Amino acid sequence: MTARLPDPPRTPPGTGAGPGSPYLNPYLAGMGLGLVLLAAFVLVGRGLGASGAFSSTLSWLVNLVAPAHAQANLYMQGYLGDGTTHPLKAWLVFEVVGVAAGALLSGLLAGRARFTVEKGPRVSTAIRLFCAFAGGILMAFGAHLARGCTSGQALTGGALLNVGSWAFMLMVFVGGYAVAWFMRWQWR
Amino acid sequence: MRLPQLTLNQKLAAVALVLGALALFSQPHRGPFVKLDARELALVVEQEVDHVKPSELAAWIVEGRADYRLIDLRTADEFAAYHIPTAENAELTALTEYPLLRNEKIVLYSEGGIHSAQAWLLLRAQGYEGVYTVLGGLDGWKDEVLFPVLPADAGPRDRAQFERAAALAQFFGGQPRADGAAAAEAPAAELPKLSAPAATGPAVPAAPRKKKKEGC
Amino acid sequence: MMTPFYKYGLFGDEVSLLVAFVLGLGFGFFLERAGFGSARKLAAQFYLYDMSVFKVMFTAIVTAMLGVTYLGWLGWLDLDLVYLVPTHLGPQIVGGLVLGVGFVVGGYCPGTSVAALATGRVDAILYALGIFAGTFAYAEVYPAIQGFVNSNAMGQVTLPEVFELPWGLVVFAVVVIAVVGFWGATLIERRFRSEP
Repeated sequence: MTARLPDPPRTPPGTGAGPGSPYLNPYLAGMGLGLVLLAAFVLVGRGLGASGAFSSTLSWLVNLVAPAHAQANLYMQGYLGDGTTHPLKAWLVFEVVGVAAGALLSGLLAGRARFTVEKGPRVSTAIRLFCAFAGGILMAFGAHLARGCTSGQALTGGALLNVGSWAFMLMVFVGGYAVAWFMRWQWR
Repeated sequence: MRLPQLTLNQKLAAVALVLGALALFSQPHRGPFVKLDARELALVVEQEVDHVKPSELAAWIVEGRADYRLIDLRTADEFAAYHIPTAENAELTALTEYPLLRNEKIVLYSEGGIHSAQAWLLLRAQGYEGVYTVLGGLDGWKDEVLFPVLPADAGPRDRAQFERAAALAQFFGGQPRADGAAAAEAPAAELPKLSAPAATGPAVPAAPRKKKKEGC
Repeated sequence: MMTPFYKYGLFGDEVSLLVAFVLGLGFGFFLERAGFGSARKLAAQFYLYDMSVFKVMFTAIVTAMLGVTYLGWLGWLDLDLVYLVPTHLGPQIVGGLVLGVGFVVGGYCPGTSVAALATGRVDAILYALGIFAGTFAYAEVYPAIQGFVNSNAMGQVTLPEVFELPWGLVVFAVVVIAVVGFWGATLIERRFRSEP
């Protein structure tokens, strides 16, 4: 790797909602998120999401490079459609672009936007990046099996009291806590 | 008495609890859109468990059963001229708002059978399970119950059946026709006045019954 | 019944894409405000010294849930028209477990990874690449596993329906559980934060 990326901004040890925390009170942030979600229900009749945008984008990319393969693939067919609409002209794709823009805005306002690697003190950048990549692969499987991720299933389905979403949400916490001990070298 | 100073988080929690408690009294809105299980409905129709015969209905009325709601889907004028005893009047458009409980037996009829079949689908789509149509509608009621016909070449079993049907017809003020003339009917056969039998209870309950909440 | 506006034809597909972008803006903004552009803060949830993920997630759920309940009660929102992801218990339970593991290994979930890479986190970029790779792998094996993926179909069901309870009662229960949970989470945080 080239020059070592700078450490992320120092945050006080108690990164919760106490005085001195640079972050918004989690309850207020949650209310903000909840109101955005409610707006989605009222305006469009659907909730938020993220994993679907990755599927759309991937299907589009594979279709560019190997169209025959993409169109023959049962999963990607669903995101490519019949060819009348561009796969990137999907609701979630536009929403996710908005997420990036909104996050950038907030980060710039708070002085938290900079090129860095989030990691614990004991792990090297290379290993952290590898774990991030591996985590992404796992996350893709989890999200597509469950038909959503924490945004689409937990938040949206949670607010609508969807059975599958609540079961999913519970399992996310179970899965996370189950392996946390084994991954602590990455974060502490 | 001084109230303790609450932190922002405690105030938020209090607001949430109040709103949550108030939500206990909420009622979900029933919009006009419905979800259909097409396969289930097709099966019900195929197995012919979606209708009752006029004679069955007649038997229930005679027995004085009160476990069903009979709904006449015709206009108020037609209803006033004649309706099957124990029936209530509710036109198709009024049916969605009509006070019906989800676990009641609801029997629908119209002039022939088309409107009752359509109302059957609409009610099933809204989640009512025990919905039935009267086979043949009011026409079927007239043919089977009010004006039963004894065919010319009837055997002893047919005769016995006709006797039973005739008794039923008398009960409802109809006219059994032993002469086998099935064709000549409507103008000659007048529909009985609504004197007997009286409905087993008030046709529409005094206090409107609330619809059960979703899923009960 | 006036809403959802899109379902009542107030605007078409093109505008709904614009609406998606604007909603995304709000979503991303609050995610970053809460600190979820940082994998360390997100992963901290699973080490119990920072329960923000739990607090933010459940506050958002309670807020939107109460909003939906009251708007429905007022007759302003037709909940039948809001899309409910169909329940498939088996794959959703397995998916949740896998996602939880991915959360601790990778440090993000798909939404927060986008928020993080927008603010320059290189690990989030790798994470997003991982999602692409994983999605590709999933698409390749999908024909083989689709039986499982579509199993345990329960249709679009809500908790009140399945437990045959009134909607309002479940809402109240969720609010109480959330408030108690928040109080408990704060206690846990204090306990685990005092350790070095």
